[in-house]
Amino acid sequence: MKILVTLKRIPNPDEPLKFTVGGLDYSSHKWVPNAFDEYAVEAALRLAEKVGAPDRLAEVIVLSICPQGQRQHLIQFLGMGADRAIVVDADEDALDTGTVAKAIAAVYKREGCDLLIAGKLSQDNEGNQIAQRVAGILGAPQACFAATVEWDRGQRALIVSREVDDGVEVKRIPLPAVVSVDLRIVLPTSVQNGATPANHAYKEGARLASLRGITLAKKKPFQVLSLGDLGLGGPANERAVAVKAPPARKAGQIVGSVDDLFDKLTKEAKVL
Amino acid sequence: MIAIGTPSALGAGEIARAAWARWGRVISARRSGAAPVDRGDQVMVSGAMSTASQGSDALFNPTEEHRLLRDMVAEFARREVDPQAAASDVKGALNLELFRRLGDLGLLGVTIPEQDGGAGLDAVAAVIIHHELSKYDPGFCLAYLAHSMLFVNNFYHCASAEQRARYLPRTISGEWVAGMGMTEPGAGTDVLAMTTTATRDGGSFVLNGTKTYITNGCEGYCFLVYAKVDGKITAFVVDRECAGFSTSNHIDKLGMRGSTMSELIFEDCRVPAANLLGAEGSGLAHMMRNLEIERLTLAAMSVGIADRCLELMVRHAEERRAFQQPINRFGQIQRYIGEAYAMTEAAKCLTYNVARDVGPAQRNRIGSDAAKLFAAPVGKTVADYAMQVMGGAGYCREYPVERLWRDAKLLEIGGGTIEAHQKNITKDLTRAAAR
Repeated sequence: MKILVTLKRIPNPDEPLKFTVGGLDYSSHKWVPNAFDEYAVEAALRLAEKVGAPDRLAEVIVLSICPQGQRQHLIQFLGMGADRAIVVDADEDALDTGTVAKAIAAVYKREGCDLLIAGKLSQDNEGNQIAQRVAGILGAPQACFAATVEWDRGQRALIVSREVDDGVEVKRIPLPAVVSVDLRIVLPTSVQNGATPANHAYKEGARLASLRGITLAKKKPFQVLSLGDLGLGGPANERAVAVKAPPARKAGQIVGSVDDLFDKLTKEAKVL
Repeated sequence: MIAIGTPSALGAGEIARAAWARWGRVISARRSGAAPVDRGDQVMVSGAMSTASQGSDALFNPTEEHRLLRDMVAEFARREVDPQAAASDVKGALNLELFRRLGDLGLLGVTIPEQDGGAGLDAVAAVIIHHELSKYDPGFCLAYLAHSMLFVNNFYHCASAEQRARYLPRTISGEWVAGMGMTEPGAGTDVLAMTTTATRDGGSFVLNGTKTYITNGCEGYCFLVYAKVDGKITAFVVDRECAGFSTSNHIDKLGMRGSTMSELIFEDCRVPAANLLGAEGSGLAHMMRNLEIERLTLAAMSVGIADRCLELMVRHAEERRAFQQPINRFGQIQRYIGEAYAMTEAAKCLTYNVARDVGPAQRNRIGSDAAKLFAAPVGKTVADYAMQVMGGAGYCREYPVERLWRDAKLLEIGGGTIEAHQKNITKDLTRAAAR
């Protein structure tokens, strides 16, 4: 079993945004991995390992499409326990969602993967398209926003629960397949692989890379591809033409009495 | 800041900007019911060195490994160390479960070569760990220092292959807590005046004497102990199995309450000759070598305290209003903030710069003494400034400043008093000038 996990690097969402003419200035931002992608790696590692034993049930490959010299984020995930990394060198302006989806699908096929796990969306543009589009290109079954995943190894299938507006939907999908994960996937017992005891409680959240993991990470395979290697290239079909700050909120008014308030609500705001 | 609830409380279509670290911290604080959610530490949490430019970043994170280490320890400290710090302080106890997490993360053998089960990293890496842990719980960090620097690192460099095989695996994993015994009731800065003796008797040594103020004394299984054989300082490893060895009750203290200390008592204590570290009489060299990394990492702890206190006071001074404006508009407050920042950066730069020249193969007493001599009062002063800027809030236990303020004082005393550093520096400079 081979699990491919996609990772996007994004400008730190906790830092304030700087607006420039026609876009955002990220030049002083720290770049961090998308949190949902961290959860995707955690889910893949939980599927692949048997806690308390050296057994590995799957190989975990992390994939990122990013500019040259911006690959540091992958080392963290190799440190967490992913087996190897693939990076596709690409400048941001050569990328649009379609190209990214095609590139992921091409790597998936090239590696003969059985499962793609992706974060449900990236925190910067909240696109929420990648997993679905890759599934479309591959013609593979998909389960999006997975809150729990259970691997039925005998039947080569996944049982995925999804929290939807009116309850929890449970899906069964045969492998190979595409899954996108929600943040609940990293709760203590959200991932079951039939090998780690079902009552084993993981620590909440994506695991930390241990120091040993960090030192081993450098020695793990790290393959670099270009879009050309995947039969892709050419200019992007989509590009962001503007990003504007929302209009500033108008100042409120302090009223002296309930009568004043009533008066303003009826005559000025006309909501009563 | 977006308010974020527990995972089960989130609706299906919730906003995605839910960095795990933040709500993880919020949930743990709520669950423990102990520490209030800290409102003051969200300014700089994402960038371990947010104030650093690219040039100084090369000093603080010289390699990619150092940077990853810092990110990992900082995340661990926010998620797991911070939520328990106030409660451990009140209890005056080492959080053993959390201590063992340091073993899981591979931090207890940071300076030990990889082939011997460690991470094979340098003094800069050790400084990074102490710096990041001390932002949240210096007391806990002190237990880490006593274990991984005073025992594991020290022991490694004077132990034989057999001794390493017996003690390293279980101290690097955290199964055994360890410490080091140097100070005695009658000998502190004047360490050569120690009176603990060891006498050879057949296949063992018989130790008599008392060590005091020993961090990890209560929980420790094994200790690196200095005693005099025929008047010469000699190092031994003593463990709980040695007949005639005991520890006193916990010695209660002002700060650093996330770790414990006690006396180590040797009453005709029989230590197998196999536990002699290095040659008889060679203890002084081991002691001096290890004091360097001890002083360096203590300096790093002070830098961690100063960094955090600065962060807390900057935020408070923006939020707190007086006379219709934030208090950071007043020159009196700006003086505290400006001076605290400048002295914190100076201490940080000195400490990391010295760290580049501390290692098993090189002596740098003057550097490590200078780093601690400078950094220790900085931690204390910046904590004091933070408390002054925060006023009543700084003095009360709702915020971590009063705890950090109590913790900071130890760094002017432990691992060498500031007076000892002044003495050593003068001696080293005078000797160098005479050459």
